[in-house]
Amino acid sequence: VIKPGGSMECRVLSIQSHVVRGYVGNKSASFPLQVMGFEVDSINSVQFSNHTGYAHWKGQVLTADELHVLYEGIKLNNVNHYDYVLTGYTRDTSFLEMVVDIVQELKRANPNLVYVCDPVLGDHGSMYVPQNLYPVYKDKVVPVADIITPNQFEAELLTGKNISTEKDAVEVMDLLHNMGPDTVVITSSDLPPRLGDRFLVSLGSQRIVMPDGTSTTQRIRIEVPKVDAVFVGTGDLFAAMLLAWTHHYPTDLKTACEKTFSVMHHVIQRTISYAHEMAGPGRRPSPAQLELRMVQSKADIEDPAIVMEATVL
Amino acid sequence: MDCRVLSIQSHVVRGYVGNKSATFPLQVLGFEVDSINSVQFSNHTGYEHWKGQVLTADELHVLYEGIRLNKLNHYDYMLTGYTRDVSFLEMVVDIVEELKGTNPSLVYVCDPVMGDNGAMYVPEALLPVYKEKVVPVADIITPNQFEAELLTGRKISTEKDAVEAMDLLHEMGPDTVVITSSDLLSSLGDQYLVALGSQITVKADGTKEKQRIRMDIPRVDAVFVGTGDLFAAMLLAWTHHHPNNLKAACEKTVSVMQHVIKRTITYAKEVAGPDCRPSPAQLELRMVQSKGDIEDPAITVEAVLL
Repeated sequence: VIKPGGSMECRVLSIQSHVVRGYVGNKSASFPLQVMGFEVDSINSVQFSNHTGYAHWKGQVLTADELHVLYEGIKLNNVNHYDYVLTGYTRDTSFLEMVVDIVQELKRANPNLVYVCDPVLGDHGSMYVPQNLYPVYKDKVVPVADIITPNQFEAELLTGKNISTEKDAVEVMDLLHNMGPDTVVITSSDLPPRLGDRFLVSLGSQRIVMPDGTSTTQRIRIEVPKVDAVFVGTGDLFAAMLLAWTHHYPTDLKTACEKTFSVMHHVIQRTISYAHEMAGPGRRPSPAQLELRMVQSKADIEDPAIVMEATVL
Repeated sequence: MDCRVLSIQSHVVRGYVGNKSATFPLQVLGFEVDSINSVQFSNHTGYEHWKGQVLTADELHVLYEGIRLNKLNHYDYMLTGYTRDVSFLEMVVDIVEELKGTNPSLVYVCDPVMGDNGAMYVPEALLPVYKEKVVPVADIITPNQFEAELLTGRKISTEKDAVEAMDLLHEMGPDTVVITSSDLLSSLGDQYLVALGSQITVKADGTKEKQRIRMDIPRVDAVFVGTGDLFAAMLLAWTHHHPNNLKAACEKTVSVMQHVIKRTITYAKEVAGPDCRPSPAQLELRMVQSKGDIEDPAITVEAVLL
């Protein structure tokens, strides 16, 4: 919706972590979305000094009740109208269940609401959230999600199916569609890249329902340069930017993914360069030095040069 | 640019006050903003309803400890605004003092929020804390006329009074003082309000000089929330770019405010409809829509050197 004055008028409710320093959770998602013209309402699920990859971290968590209280304030003022909900890393089942309640109520208030969910469960074969979150994601969260961004491990967990080939991945994405979301992006996988081992394979699938009730599915594959560093917050940035670019390209997952992965590439490249410069030759950069160069990447966020092409399967 | 700000202010889920008002504009101007949220509320307290949680002084200390343990307690600026709790404010002072220990060049920008239009809207116990502990460690302060009078114990009836009050405030600590609004009569008429500023700068030869300015700013027929927070953040940014030129810094800052406010009023009236008073929700600052003006504000108000 373009309102008078040319503004976008799109409101996102993002329920994620806040860190005083650095870019994860809401810190990673808000600035890029705002820079692209989205109104971002943010509920901070925790407030920590920094992410948990540093030597030390300290802070406070929001309980499910406190989340409910904040939402109540919004509701009492009759401003519980959102175009998008965005969630990511959560560690608590009651908190996650409260998120589902909120999504369901917001969907009643706006049936066109799009829920973008990063179902953060683990990576590289193991869970790094409490195991009891898994049934909540499977049975309650994913069914109300519209766009999900699992990695390969999370996609396998949610569907109970292993991914060894591209065919497996397509079947898994179809299973995920059947669970709820019309848009699925497997953000990273172990599938063998055609461009060589300096790349990793991501896949996407978007089911579009036509006015006559029939559906078509656009599936894409995109090979993304691997980076020799551990970043934190990149998944949160990815989900936020996928929200933005699917908003601008709602029936063109190829373009939405090319823009999203390109933004990631620019931010990560800038961050690696800076980190190596700060650390000095032959030294591993620290978590502090590896914080995403977010504000410095404003122009790339606003208008990313496309640096990789997605193939339509 | 690599300039890092620690901002300790409120967070609201929806709308633009406190850290929500300060963070995006500073980030858009290239500042790294570390933010400690002193509260998390659904929205500001001018709405019919508001709900949320507050951070205690201990919890503030714990967050700072995390930063400190990681040896990340190095900042170029600190920014604070509306606070309601004495112990919280005292913890803020401890943090400022420690940060000035790690970086003696740190600039503390403080909006000494206590009240307006002749009445305090924070607990009275905060006044002595601001007077004796906060303002002495501040480098830039942005009181309104009432707050300037409270801090100095002097009434401001004329421009001369205002200049004397700003001199007293300099003696208390800050080298830069901006009285953001006053009841002084504007030479341009009653559609304008008068703001004043005073800055002590050190010349190359070591001697000090004072630049004093006055600005006549068009009044707006609406109650905004969060504008003071945006003002302090933008004054931080523009004094950073114009450290010895308060005239230029204030012209940029006030001009940004004008653009944001104008865009907000236009939008609010449009969504409210003809003859309807816009609601607090409709009057939320049009912050993300004002990105272009924030990045590069066209100058719409000129400051006069006194």
